[in-house]
Amino acid sequence: MSAENEMLDFLGLEDKEELFEDIPEMIRTDLDIPEGLSEREVMSEVKGKLDKNKDLDELVSFLGAGIYDHYVPAAVGEIIGQSEFYTSYTPYQAEISQGLLQALFEYQSLIAELTGLGAVNTSMYDHPTALAEAVLMSSRIQRKGGKFLIPENIHWDKDPVLDNYLRGSDIDIEKVSFDDDGKIDRDELRSKLDEDVLGFYVETPNIFGVLERDLDTFKKLKEENDCILVVGSEPMLLSLMRSPADWGADIAIGESQPLGIPPSFGGPTVGIFASHEDYIRKMPGRIIGETEDSEGKRAYCMTLQTREQHIRRERATSNICTNQSLMALASAAYTYVRGGTGIEEIAKENYEKAHDLADRIDDIEGFEAPYFDSEFYNEFTVKVPEDSEKVFEKCSKRDVLPGVALDKKEKFRSLPDLILVAVTEMNTEEEMDVLVETLKEVVA
Amino acid sequence: MSSEYRQARYDEELLIERGEDKQIENNPLPSDIKREEAAGIPDIPKHEVVRYFNRLSQMNYGIDTGLYPLGSCTMKYNPKFTEQIASNTKASRIHPYQPEDTVQGTLEIMYELQELLAELGGMHSVTLQPAAGAHGEITGLMIAHQYHKDNDEERKEVIIPDTAHGTNPASVSMLGYDLVEIPSKEGCMDLEALKEAAGEKTAAFMITNPNTLGLFEKDACEIAEIIHDAGGLLYYDGANLNAIMGKTDPGAMNFDIMHFNLHKTFSTPHGGGGPGSGPVGVNEELASYLPVPIVEKEGDTYQLDYDLEKSIGRVKGIYGNWLVLLKAYTYIKYEGKDGLEEVTERAVLNSNYLRKKLQPHLDLPYRELRKHEFVMSGKRMKDKGLKTTDLAKRLLDYGFHAPTIYFPQLVDEALMIEPTETETKETLDGFAEAIESIMDEDEEVIGEAPQNTAVRRVDETKAIRDSVLSYKMRD
Repeated sequence: MSAENEMLDFLGLEDKEELFEDIPEMIRTDLDIPEGLSEREVMSEVKGKLDKNKDLDELVSFLGAGIYDHYVPAAVGEIIGQSEFYTSYTPYQAEISQGLLQALFEYQSLIAELTGLGAVNTSMYDHPTALAEAVLMSSRIQRKGGKFLIPENIHWDKDPVLDNYLRGSDIDIEKVSFDDDGKIDRDELRSKLDEDVLGFYVETPNIFGVLERDLDTFKKLKEENDCILVVGSEPMLLSLMRSPADWGADIAIGESQPLGIPPSFGGPTVGIFASHEDYIRKMPGRIIGETEDSEGKRAYCMTLQTREQHIRRERATSNICTNQSLMALASAAYTYVRGGTGIEEIAKENYEKAHDLADRIDDIEGFEAPYFDSEFYNEFTVKVPEDSEKVFEKCSKRDVLPGVALDKKEKFRSLPDLILVAVTEMNTEEEMDVLVETLKEVVA
Repeated sequence: MSSEYRQARYDEELLIERGEDKQIENNPLPSDIKREEAAGIPDIPKHEVVRYFNRLSQMNYGIDTGLYPLGSCTMKYNPKFTEQIASNTKASRIHPYQPEDTVQGTLEIMYELQELLAELGGMHSVTLQPAAGAHGEITGLMIAHQYHKDNDEERKEVIIPDTAHGTNPASVSMLGYDLVEIPSKEGCMDLEALKEAAGEKTAAFMITNPNTLGLFEKDACEIAEIIHDAGGLLYYDGANLNAIMGKTDPGAMNFDIMHFNLHKTFSTPHGGGGPGSGPVGVNEELASYLPVPIVEKEGDTYQLDYDLEKSIGRVKGIYGNWLVLLKAYTYIKYEGKDGLEEVTERAVLNSNYLRKKLQPHLDLPYRELRKHEFVMSGKRMKDKGLKTTDLAKRLLDYGFHAPTIYFPQLVDEALMIEPTETETKETLDGFAEAIESIMDEDEEVIGEAPQNTAVRRVDETKAIRDSVLSYKMRD
């Protein structure tokens, strides 16, 4: 007797169909999809489809706008490819999940070092959803609704995500425009800060690649208005830049994709979420804490779970359950494989290459780089002499992707023909030559 | 039966502890924004880092280690070929803002996945944007919110049964809705109570079917009628889709909106907590409310379509967890119609077999026939002065991951068990023998479990009291 028949026999059933007799006939359906394939067939079919893509090895790409193509050392893939890690789930049973718990505690610790804020969760879905959660958390900290100030100079995906997350809340988003330098308009920010304001958001680098300066101003404004300061940043740059905590952030958010995660068509990535230690009970998401076992040995477990949906249900701080843990682990593995000095070196290399390229593009007749005359890191704006779409079209025929068109985005329509160019260590000198030559030729 | 499982037990200090104070040389940033001192990230030889994480992995338990019967989570074997395909650079090293003609393969796969999921759910259209099940839920509620707004209706309430996953009520209140929770009757929806609760304030109703007790809500159509008559929308939580594929679907039950958990039903791995993917399907009337972009096909070309008339906009950045979508697509193509029907049948057979095997040792509330999972009560542990959590910890010593415990809350000392279709009869027999053996063990042995894991019983109270959430917070 087959195992299946033995099991049916044990249940006193003759046919598996009897297991479904509780599903009424009137709602029965048939699946209308093709029959299955063998592993060999399916691998060949899917690979055939993927072959229609051109990957970044086949393109000269300066694309960024939130997703960056950094080199991922092979060791990172090996580490997150350990099946004990990737085939496990949320570590509800701490004793048998110490490895993952400790690895995620390492991630939290690394983000704490970079942001200067001690309380870190194991991830949000991405940067935009982390921003939405930060705004909601600000309202919980302040115990009221009100206005939250959001600068215009952030990625266009973030605004609609915020709108959707706040649909049922008593929080109103008020926008703060940017000045001629591409930075948040400080006078406007100042004028909009009043007692109805829950908090405000500052991002550096912002969507123009521009770094905000006089950081102490934000700290002062926050303190004067007794509100929450949320700071968005880029983790690799944070190895060189003053930490968000240093300039008064209560909550620091960002995108950890640059740390060890391939571009992956934009997902999966990791939303960074760190908070001041005073507000840990208001935080969203999973958090790992350090503790001991019954014999006094150091151990780790999920903690402060009474904030979470599986315990607190409708009173939870967020609905998030499944998050991006394995990608957080990739970021931790990447950071340690590179080491502190290694991360700093890559950040410096990115900075220098980007500045070198900006100078070279600026020298081409009709181009202006950076368009916003401000300090930047590895990404900058370029004013192009004709419609950005036309420039892209001509470049992409040669497999050159100069950047992302900013002027085509609804919120930046008022800007001139403007593109956003990102540089990483993956861009060789030869690639930069190709870009400069191509730009020269296409506008000639 | 004795427990022969032994997990590795290393004393690994955190790597972060090795960070040292140091200056940054040649920092190119302007002096007013540059770091004075380096962040405390150590420099450690690469092979030491690999060893460290390798040792940590040996102190972890995955589905590749053994049975992982977490109810509601669908921990089944993750095929290795889907991992391999996702590591192809033509999948991983593509940028979201590449021209569409350089990512036709990806767009084609996403388009086909939208179509496959629509068929599997009995839905009209699908968005692949949400990153997880709970994210799908909140997306669905955002759609419902916009729909009622467009109809100039202010509906403030969302109804759920008391068996609902915690994410359901959390999503409801996150969007500012008032929660109306219906106590279940014999483990299923109480139609009379539902009739009473439904009305002009009802924005939506959320349920998973089979429910979290593993019971099929056979009155699904009546439920739909009650909610639709009241002008509300029906939301189907797809967490338990593994139990019904090829037998019925949410569309057939007249549901308007649903989400899929690709990491559960379509076996993309759970990654220690994520990433997952929670695509949302809707009926024809709601199709133009989906987040943008969705993938459209025109002739032989695939493109991202941002032009949906009533779209709610976005629920996350970019397009969704593409690499997870790719794995799910590959899995669905591999299983196909025949394979997915068999998945359902095996999952339900395994569940009922194990349920009956365990019935002599644990208590089963409500009727017998279950779908892909079942909930038992560990209240007999109380006779020993112990609790379900002790039983769960002792199971770890036998080399099994514990089931979900203390959920759903309406079952005393609940153990929620989902074996999935990929486990053999021998494995299920082994699990049943372990439970039987534990029930006969001395209180001290169970109460002091686990002993074969990397650490002994973890002090969760101390973790809360100390709240050390990073090395930085350690005093």
